[in-house]
Amino acid sequence: MNKESNMSVLLKGLLKENPVFVLILGTCPTLATTTTVIGALGMGLAATAVLICSNAVVSMCRKFIPDTVRIPCYIVIIAGFVTIVEMFMHAFLPEMYELLGVYLALITVNCIILGRAEMYAGKQPVGKSILDGIGMGLGFTIALLAMATIREVFGAGTFAGIPVPFIETHTIDILIKAPGGLMVYGMLIAAVNFITKGKAIKKKDFSCAGCPSAGNCHGGCASAEKEAE
Amino acid sequence: MMKHLKSVISLTAICGVVAVLLAMTNYITAPVIEKNAQAAASEAMLVVLPTGEDFQAVDLSAYELPATVTEAFTEKNGGVVVKLTTAGYGTGMVVMVGIDASGTVTGATCLASNETLSYEKTYGEKAIGLTADTVESDLETISGATKTTGAYKGVVVDALNTAIILGGGSVDVRSEDQILADNLNAALPAGEGEFEKLFIAEALTDTSAVYKAVNGAGYVFVSGESFVGTDADGKVTSEADEALKAQTESNAALIISSEITEIDLSGYEMPKQIEKAYKTATGNFVFELKAAGFGINGDEYYYPSGEHIKIKASVTADGTIIACETTYQSESEGIGSQCAEASFYSQFNGKTADNYGDIEAIGGATITTNGYKTAVSKVFEAVEILKGDA
Repeated sequence: MNKESNMSVLLKGLLKENPVFVLILGTCPTLATTTTVIGALGMGLAATAVLICSNAVVSMCRKFIPDTVRIPCYIVIIAGFVTIVEMFMHAFLPEMYELLGVYLALITVNCIILGRAEMYAGKQPVGKSILDGIGMGLGFTIALLAMATIREVFGAGTFAGIPVPFIETHTIDILIKAPGGLMVYGMLIAAVNFITKGKAIKKKDFSCAGCPSAGNCHGGCASAEKEAE
Repeated sequence: MMKHLKSVISLTAICGVVAVLLAMTNYITAPVIEKNAQAAASEAMLVVLPTGEDFQAVDLSAYELPATVTEAFTEKNGGVVVKLTTAGYGTGMVVMVGIDASGTVTGATCLASNETLSYEKTYGEKAIGLTADTVESDLETISGATKTTGAYKGVVVDALNTAIILGGGSVDVRSEDQILADNLNAALPAGEGEFEKLFIAEALTDTSAVYKAVNGAGYVFVSGESFVGTDADGKVTSEADEALKAQTESNAALIISSEITEIDLSGYEMPKQIEKAYKTATGNFVFELKAAGFGINGDEYYYPSGEHIKIKASVTADGTIIACETTYQSESEGIGSQCAEASFYSQFNGKTADNYGDIEAIGGATITTNGYKTAVSKVFEAVEILKGDA
């Protein structure tokens, strides 16, 4: 039985198990939507809303979703919530909807959301799954904001569209391009590793116990063979 | 079995619940999204009709409008905004035109295009203040961008016509080709809609063009605005006054009896532009010419085609051009290529050695125009040579 405290569930996503900098999930939207702080905030909050809702519903349904069809069920639930968020954003935040473009619909296939449904919400009670969704969602949002702040301020000379004195005329243009995004991403991963003294990375469980396919695997994979040695 | 059934039921139930949730969300958001879209469209329309209020889409199927019109909107003050799609140098040029209640263009902007020279970005400003009566004369096309600006002018005219039609007026929205086809059919229904234009080698009285029915049913003679049909023997079959009937039957007799014989040019020292020469039974001459336009004399930087312009011209024995037309050209697209348009080559009809140069040159195509004029001028020399007077 999981003895993890509620506070620990909530806070682990912020740094220790940050989905972007530690678990290295959701890299595509991370690089694509962090050219502006506003875009990053919109993507982060949209993904958080979907994460909380999908974690809650997956957890509620975990006892009657058969193991064999759990992934299609999770995808349908996640896609449904993404479409709902997309519709509301289209109606009430049209500028944000235009800004996020195709990446909004691609939240459906964001590894963070499916990963949390499979690894956490599918096994844990509703309350903890919601806390996990909030924590992971906030961790994702904070990570996007950190990256977007560096890229927009130093790459475009603005913060949320507001010009930053001096930097405005001394921008590092590469930061708002794809290579700049990867550079900032790499530097932030290194910074998180430095702050946690590498413990966050080392704590990642690469054994059969931490594998999402463990339930259906009969020990035939390379990792299982390595573990057996 | 039960295990599989449970899987199917679970997945189906989840899909059903999600579908219901999506339907509910759509019920809430769809009207808001539509309202936002209308507001955004109105904002775009205000650019071309700044005084417009409360734009309402028009059901286009209820009107016979120009083919270029894709959307139209009316507004509270009687103004109209028309969205049109046309093809300039490239395809997909989308233009929005605003017209106020008095029928004056208040704005025109290009929303999308694939043109190369970007004239379409600012050309709409020239249309502001024009009306259906002034647009043809006051909206000039730009030399060097005739295709783009000509197409743009065309849609501004179409927009003004649309405003008249939506306002309850009546405008002939048929294309020039459609009008010609309709007139030919009306003049000679037995032609069953298929006609070919004849090259006129005889000096006809007051006739600008002659069409022959492909099925051999007869001819149609164009005299000013009148289209007069005759049967294969030259007897007038359509409505016309007695004078026009007599004139048409006289012209038809000339066309039907016209015989043309090729002249062997080997015994003559002809100008190099003359490729072939023919003589008619009535003593007229027909020449096939080659003109060195931009294709031959063009700047290498612009990749001239290396080909001559081919021209056919008929001349009376006293040296008056009866008809002239371009049979082939490979000049610069949209510029020199205008030498193949009737509005250019028909300018030579009726010209003599003294005034053949009094024609309007093609804008931006001086080399083409000069080459063409030089070639045409040689027919007068050739006539003198063939008559043995040289």
